[in-house]
Amino acid sequence: MPMRRSDFLKLGSISAFSLILASKVHWSGARVVNATQSLSSDRLHVLNRMTWGVTRVDIDRINALGIECYIDWALDADSIPDPLVEQFVAEHPLYWQPYEELQALAREDYGVVYTAALYHRCFCAAYSEKQLYEVMVEFWTDHFNIPIEDYLVDKIMDDREVIRRHALGKFRDLLFASAQSPAMLYYLDNAYSYKDHPNENYAREVMELHTLGVDGGYTEQDVRELARILTGWGVRDGFNNRFYFDSHNHDSHEKVFLGRVFPAGRGIEEGLEALDMLATHPSTANYVCSKLVRRFTGDVPPQTLVESAAQVWQQTEGDIKQVLRHILLSAEFMLTAGQKFKRPLHFEVNILRAFAPHFEIYDENWIIWNTEALGQMPWGWHPPNGYPDVTAAWISTGTLLERWNLGMGMPQAVEDWWDGGRLDMDALIPQVNTAGELVDHVAKQMLGGDLPAADREMLINFVTDNAGDQPISYEQRLDRIQTLMGMVFNSPYFQWY
Amino acid sequence: MTISRRTLLKTAGAAAVVGVGQTLFPSWMPKLVFSPTAKAQAERDVLVAIFQRGGMDGLNAVVPYAEGAFYYDRRPTIAISEREVIDLDGFFGLHPALASLKDVYDAGALSIIHAAGSPDPSRSHFDAMAYMEKGIPGDKVTATGWISRHLQSAAWENDSPFRAVGIGTMVQSSLRGPVSALSLRSIADFHLQGREDHLATIQQTIARMYQIDAPNDLLQAQARNVFSTVDLLQALSGSEYQPANGAVYPDSDFGMGMKQIALLIKAGVGLEVACVDIGGWDTHEYQGGSDGELANLLRDLGDGLAAFYTDLADYMHGVTVVSMSEFGRRVTENASQGTDHGHGNVMFVMGGGAVGGIHTDWPTLAPEALDEGDLEITTDYRDVLGEILIKRLGNNALDQIFPAYSVNTRGIINER
Repeated sequence: MPMRRSDFLKLGSISAFSLILASKVHWSGARVVNATQSLSSDRLHVLNRMTWGVTRVDIDRINALGIECYIDWALDADSIPDPLVEQFVAEHPLYWQPYEELQALAREDYGVVYTAALYHRCFCAAYSEKQLYEVMVEFWTDHFNIPIEDYLVDKIMDDREVIRRHALGKFRDLLFASAQSPAMLYYLDNAYSYKDHPNENYAREVMELHTLGVDGGYTEQDVRELARILTGWGVRDGFNNRFYFDSHNHDSHEKVFLGRVFPAGRGIEEGLEALDMLATHPSTANYVCSKLVRRFTGDVPPQTLVESAAQVWQQTEGDIKQVLRHILLSAEFMLTAGQKFKRPLHFEVNILRAFAPHFEIYDENWIIWNTEALGQMPWGWHPPNGYPDVTAAWISTGTLLERWNLGMGMPQAVEDWWDGGRLDMDALIPQVNTAGELVDHVAKQMLGGDLPAADREMLINFVTDNAGDQPISYEQRLDRIQTLMGMVFNSPYFQWY
Repeated sequence: MTISRRTLLKTAGAAAVVGVGQTLFPSWMPKLVFSPTAKAQAERDVLVAIFQRGGMDGLNAVVPYAEGAFYYDRRPTIAISEREVIDLDGFFGLHPALASLKDVYDAGALSIIHAAGSPDPSRSHFDAMAYMEKGIPGDKVTATGWISRHLQSAAWENDSPFRAVGIGTMVQSSLRGPVSALSLRSIADFHLQGREDHLATIQQTIARMYQIDAPNDLLQAQARNVFSTVDLLQALSGSEYQPANGAVYPDSDFGMGMKQIALLIKAGVGLEVACVDIGGWDTHEYQGGSDGELANLLRDLGDGLAAFYTDLADYMHGVTVVSMSEFGRRVTENASQGTDHGHGNVMFVMGGGAVGGIHTDWPTLAPEALDEGDLEITTDYRDVLGEILIKRLGNNALDQIFPAYSVNTRGIINER
């Protein structure tokens, strides 16, 4: 029997990965869903990593376009029609109100604005057609992390004007927008940095976390010098809370930053030049690319891919689309199927996608509280480094139980008595004749593929009370389908992607 | 609190359901029946490690008020005046918000180690925290935490899933490693949900899908822990926990965390190490003096520790609590009436074994004594942890726990 390319790659990935980690903890990581006739495992892998969860629509699209055209289609996010999000925004206009109105609303009722912001985040992740864009919004949200609590309206503006505006743009624009974003200026204290007492917080983190990386070749002295360079970068209250350079607060003496002399008295130009040095620095290319590659491949980013991605980054002056295209089309990327563990927000949003379009959410708060219970509320991470992107940070006894309980709870939404939302189960899963068909339909809807034979059989026996695969009545289906779905959500196959 | 025979039968029943017999509920389980209170402590202390995330301002927590101008001139708006401090020894005084710790101090159960910390010069939160929790300053390669290596190198075995517990949603880095730790948000909520008449099948099916009878990866191992933990915690949360001796825990994440640890200690479920975090110490602006942001944090810390001490009075002879923070804060306040990242800091050690008092080789705040504007570190934090490991936890394998470091004991704690 000839071995297909996809099978070969799959085997390759398993052995390469286990070699890397053999001496440490044993991960399976490779519990990929079987390839089906309708969807190759390569395509399933590409979809898994480029979306918040694979749906029938995604499968049809990649089958029509092929992998490369699908990637180009997804990268051109501005051209993708997004009717669900447009309708959502039309019905929930709060999030996109002008700054002053948001401030007024927040003064009146903080909770309304807070809920609207977090729900907007969850909704777009789950239902936007621009899935790769939403994956990158998440990536940059972590990269330029700002917790929401203290900066509610400024954080919303940051999400709109920094993260969402530049998520698939040029890194330089993203960095400059972030450096002048009031939420960031407040959060990392640059707004409170004065020439007599520079505050080093932002100066340190912009190098350590946003650009060069902690080993990127800067010293404590560079931190101090950059803090001096950035004195005067702040926020002027009362003017729509915009970025403002206060020359009276700027240290106008000479500085030396990363080996370059900054002559005295150049005002805001000094900060712009310093940020430009950071944006174009080879360490930045290397550091940000290693994070990008980790996001798309797994805990141990292949070094060859990090290096080649950093080259593309340097050649294209940090063009995020070009770098992503390079990563997603690389041989190294293709070898990593099933090696990433879904972070909690991904887990919940994936369930919402698996229910689409037959799930109507009644209670926005419920969706948000779930993310908190799972340990990953949007914009809920307090330190500036963003939620971790390695498996070990997310696998624990406590959070696994929370997952199982959510996975078992959400399909219960079929009942009218439940307030959180309503799932039209009959529309979601077509009518079937046998238990086997039911299990297969559920697996396809939830996982985009098939279950291993032994687990399929076990679930069939749950449906038929250990009578094996046989015809089932509608009543039997009704009685079992929610728990059946819950068990698929709770299976290892739904945790890895 | 006792674990009833019924509970034991129930968990045994669950084991039968998943079809793997005795191996699922290991040897620690029956012990519950025979020594429910565990008052007759094992041969070693339970360790509670508190991490104050963000970098505590140790100079305002335990104030060297006798430094005079070296302290007061540099902190014109945030200093704690000599009148406000709770004097300890004529040189240092507690921040008034730590008042509840004074009783513990007077009882001789609180060691205060000043000018302590990790020698690595990093002023990055993440590096400094990672180094401290790994127990290897400057090391970026090692993936295991110092507590995990302690458990791994210990000469005894303990397969209780409660051996190492991290309070919170995510396991602390110090607990990461081959000995898996339980992360616990809330004891009362730790149970498996699902339709009542399907629950047994759900358990069975999930157990098989994760192959928990023979786990070969981290996720599967955790799946097994979920099952072996659920029933027991349900039993523990069956009745409302009443702290002893009138102890009142602060109604905060930290207070609730300390309370849950106390419950687990009293239940005797095999707990050896618990980690709990208290965040918010990154006081770059408007940290306040005797009132304000830092005062609120210190009050939460002090009241939580004091409540734990009171609640566990009968157990304290076998419990050691240690606190640490990634770094201290700069001696001179900044323009925002806060403090930037510094170096030396204060560690607290509380417990029946503690040698009460202030332990410090005080470097002074004289300009020439400062380390780049920060309090110098004269006690490596590993000296404190190492002494606890040797004298209270019975583990001499310090070369594995703190490789390439030679621990100097400082007399902060007594032998058991």
